[in-house]
Amino acid sequence: MIDEEYRGAKQWSRDKQAVFTVIWISFLSAAVATMIFFAVFDPVELGGMLDEDLNFSRDAGYAAGFFFFWVLCALCAGVTAFLVRTAPKRDAKHRPK
Amino acid sequence: MNKPESAGMYASAEKIYPREIGGRFDKLSKLATTILLGLFYAAPWLLWDGRQAFLFDLPARKFHLLGLTLWPQDFPYLALLLIIAALSLFFFTALAGRLWCGFACPQTVWTEAFIWMEQFTEGTRSQRMKLDKAPWSITKFRKKASKQFLWITFSMWTGFTFVGYFTPVRELGIDILELSVGGSTLFWGLFYGFATYGNAGYMREQVCKYMCPYARFQSAMFDKDTLIISYDEKRGEPRGSRKRSVDPKEAGLGDCIDCQLCVQVCPTGIDIREGLQYECIACAACIDACDSIMDKMNYPRGLVRYTTEHSLKNETTRVLRPRMFVYATLLLILVSGLVIAMTSRTPVILDVIRDRNSLYREIADNFVENIYTLKIINQSNDARSFVVTVSGLENVVLDGVDGEVRVDGGGVLSLPVRVRARRDDAYGVNEILFSVVATDDSSVVMAEDSRFIGPMR
Repeated sequence: MIDEEYRGAKQWSRDKQAVFTVIWISFLSAAVATMIFFAVFDPVELGGMLDEDLNFSRDAGYAAGFFFFWVLCALCAGVTAFLVRTAPKRDAKHRPK
Repeated sequence: MNKPESAGMYASAEKIYPREIGGRFDKLSKLATTILLGLFYAAPWLLWDGRQAFLFDLPARKFHLLGLTLWPQDFPYLALLLIIAALSLFFFTALAGRLWCGFACPQTVWTEAFIWMEQFTEGTRSQRMKLDKAPWSITKFRKKASKQFLWITFSMWTGFTFVGYFTPVRELGIDILELSVGGSTLFWGLFYGFATYGNAGYMREQVCKYMCPYARFQSAMFDKDTLIISYDEKRGEPRGSRKRSVDPKEAGLGDCIDCQLCVQVCPTGIDIREGLQYECIACAACIDACDSIMDKMNYPRGLVRYTTEHSLKNETTRVLRPRMFVYATLLLILVSGLVIAMTSRTPVILDVIRDRNSLYREIADNFVENIYTLKIINQSNDARSFVVTVSGLENVVLDGVDGEVRVDGGGVLSLPVRVRARRDDAYGVNEILFSVVATDDSSVVMAEDSRFIGPMR
């Protein structure tokens, strides 16, 4: 009855947990990275160094930087999560008893 | 079984319908939600000296906080502030458990607000469950649509309030009314609005259970003297239903009547009677629920209550313990460090950039010349005049500055200067020192060293 309903409510699938955790934690990391990076570097000056004709607003620079960090962190976290979760389990029978 | 209405988010999970319960902690939580959300939505509209009081002006690379203006160079203060915030969280967690999670975390606060809107449009828990099971009808559509309307409007308002911390909110408000919001503003407003909608409308406590790192490691701050919400097993067991007239002692029962109300109100769907679980966000809804039943049964309140592991075992709880002193001392040191650093901060910055293109230039009468660019940043809000001097070499002369230089409030002055010294005094590499002093206040001073290069001997 009520009990059953609530036991069922606890679970997200393992895959969904992994995907959302990766997205969220890389979001937080990217926010921190963006803050530190742009406290030191001004995106406009940085763009000027790469190519003098490059014209973009600071806002666009910040946004590009943030999404760059987010994708990078998500890749890192995603691959890590994938490797950890798909690693071959040490077979119990090979383990010394 | 209930068919989840939002198939995307809950593909493999049952939907939780937290039951609404009145009570002391419910009032407290409503109060906290109202105050915190009120602050969030009101703060960007506050003015200070005719300027937006809280404005993180990213395009200008300046943060305005009340009367204070912070520059990228002030980043260490922000870092220190974040460390202090984290340490305070540890301190309060060790002291009072997950107070943050239950009452102050944005995830909790916005979820609460979204649940109010859900209750307002779809009714109580049982009405909501019935509505979700019912086939589509005009009434169901009307209820669902009005909930979505409230949720989406509120989310958009949240998104644009968030953007209002980064862009002048008054102009933004006019832009919104005129439907002429520009590119990046629109993007970030929708981005944050959508995040609010998804997090508070659908993901809710799943975020706490699966995505929040703090929820996982907070147990490291817990000890047996930390305030937790717990079921008093000794008093409650053996649980069982009974008539009000039955004396539990005679029937061999504990005080728990197994009404399941504590389970029904739990937003994370756990049973507090199974002991302390990491899913518990300490919202105290189960305390309110249980107290209301205890009142009805004429039993004393507190079968589920705020307590500590020590006091559950009838041992004494110590508030002052080594862990608290360590956290408190660290906090005190960092806070006083921040205060001292902020008060002794001079509102001028001098950067010296040596011309990279030439080492030195020999000019007539046995003099040598080096070229520099001085960047003078006036961090105060009013225009100021500065006297620039150079020292470190005998008879060194600064050329390119006529007396005082004037820098606008919050402005940056780029000043190309030539420094001359006699050739005989300046062989090889010499250390020289530039300094700027405000004319109106000699304590506003900043010095920066650089190199003066002359010919090899």
